[in-house]
Amino acid sequence: MSLPQNNPPKAALKSALPGAMIFIGGALTVVGLIASFSRNGGKEFGFSWLLAFMFYYSIALGALFMVMVHHLTDAGWSVGIRRFCEHLASLLRWPLLLMFLPVGLLAPKIYAWLSAGTPATNDLIAAKYPVFTLPGFWITSAIFFAIWWLLSSRLCKRSLQQDETGSVECTRKMRFHSGWGIVAFALTLTFSGVFWMQATSYQWFSAMYGVYFFASSVWAALAFIYVISVALLRQGILTPVLKQNYFYFIGVLLLAFTLLASYTEFAQYFVVWNANMPTETFWYLRREEGGWWTLSLILILGKCFIPFFALLPIHTKTNFKVLIPVCLLIAVMHYADLAFNILPAWHPGQHHTKWLLLHLGTVLFMGGVLAKIFIAKFNAHPPYPQRDPRLLEAMGVSHNVVNDLIEANAGGAK
Amino acid sequence: MSEKIYGLMAEFDSPGALLRAAEKISAGGYRKWDCFTPFPIHGLDKVMGYRNSLVGWVALAGGAFMFLNIAGLIWFANAFDYPVIVGGKPMFSAPMTFVPAYIMMIMGGALGALIGMFGINQLPRLHHPLLGKKRFASASRDKFVVVIGANDEKFCATQTKQLLETLGGANVEIVEEQE
Repeated sequence: MSLPQNNPPKAALKSALPGAMIFIGGALTVVGLIASFSRNGGKEFGFSWLLAFMFYYSIALGALFMVMVHHLTDAGWSVGIRRFCEHLASLLRWPLLLMFLPVGLLAPKIYAWLSAGTPATNDLIAAKYPVFTLPGFWITSAIFFAIWWLLSSRLCKRSLQQDETGSVECTRKMRFHSGWGIVAFALTLTFSGVFWMQATSYQWFSAMYGVYFFASSVWAALAFIYVISVALLRQGILTPVLKQNYFYFIGVLLLAFTLLASYTEFAQYFVVWNANMPTETFWYLRREEGGWWTLSLILILGKCFIPFFALLPIHTKTNFKVLIPVCLLIAVMHYADLAFNILPAWHPGQHHTKWLLLHLGTVLFMGGVLAKIFIAKFNAHPPYPQRDPRLLEAMGVSHNVVNDLIEANAGGAK
Repeated sequence: MSEKIYGLMAEFDSPGALLRAAEKISAGGYRKWDCFTPFPIHGLDKVMGYRNSLVGWVALAGGAFMFLNIAGLIWFANAFDYPVIVGGKPMFSAPMTFVPAYIMMIMGGALGALIGMFGINQLPRLHHPLLGKKRFASASRDKFVVVIGANDEKFCATQTKQLLETLGGANVEIVEEQE
């Protein structure tokens, strides 16, 4: 175990995966893009791109949440995983902003409310008048990105600054930004989820949507954090700061958010089912037709029951052979769940299987590009905060001294 | 007074000495023995070869039982025994049963955990042979006590006593079963 040095070491994470994802995904995306523009004026591509964007954007948001919760709770164990969470969160700056541009440009194709009439003719548009217009769309989206930009850049900057100076002031500043940030995060996450995703069926209401989107986002982000942690442990990059029980902690959070995500999704269904009002039930009726019915059953199994029972026993949380497949399942299910939310607005009844290749292409391509950026960011800086006040605690040096002595004692007698 | 033996008890002075002794006892093939310490000692459970408690499974069984029970009750009352249409809903539907069944599942799980804990610990009981030993009280203060049960297959009053003494145990005593 080496103590922090004056020359912070650079991380050297290697992966051939992003390159392959860009190559395969890019090819499929280009073919799909041409097909989509020739058949339906880019509508299919717009939906597909929105779906992929929402997937990665929710994961970046979840990572931002983890960074802020780390500061707000003054946590010790999560120091080691904080740095790459910061880099994941900083994808919310120009990388995801660029990825959002196609969504913005194709907005008239994606969002039916842009062509659903004027406030004078449509009550639903009138109720949301200044926001539900094209300028309103751009301005609102710009405000979201401005807040995330400010938040993630402040948190990253101070964290990197602390590597150089070791100043406690940085920790205080990061705590301050997390304080207002968590409130801004809750508001922007709710509104962006409603505005970009739920508004694909703009006639629908659900008070549960924000918390449901939050739970699913952090849930998927935790699965990514787990897999990235395992990869960084295997490459020996985070060995000093990743202990066995930290994986248990992430596993516990994953279990908690499995419950929360399932609970919010069920509660939303339950309220609509009970109230039985045509203005709300149409959303679910549409999702009971054709292939969407099958998908909804798959989601009940794959998003709730399988991860829940896989994560329930105490030992599986630290068993990579079980948890890595579970995390991959969670990623797939999160994507499927977003698809379940977004796509039926455009594909009622049956989804054409040929367009699945386009969806696969956009998600691979965008993931590959974002992973490249993430790895470049990660490798440009030290792999974990070098002078965090809680670093020794995360390394297991300070509070486990007695433990180590006992272990040495017991070991010495062998 | 009965001469039935409950087990053998030995005192150690430090957590380290206890861990070393526990390792040897475990390696000696003993199964029915226990350690009593004034505070939790990390790693002792590993040395003693403890596995996870079975209480979780009892709680799971209790929860599952209650969940199915209440879902079944609702089906029986609403769809089988006395069907009445309420709010235009189907006589029986999964979302309808979920909330009561879920809440009673929590109840069942809690009861299962409680009953399982009592059952596995063989509680409640009025007395324990160890409480008859004056010296045993020091396990709550400054001594680390090991007790090897007479019901262990490898137990032998003389050999086990010898083992405890060679491990550095002080005041090795026989604990009698009391009627």
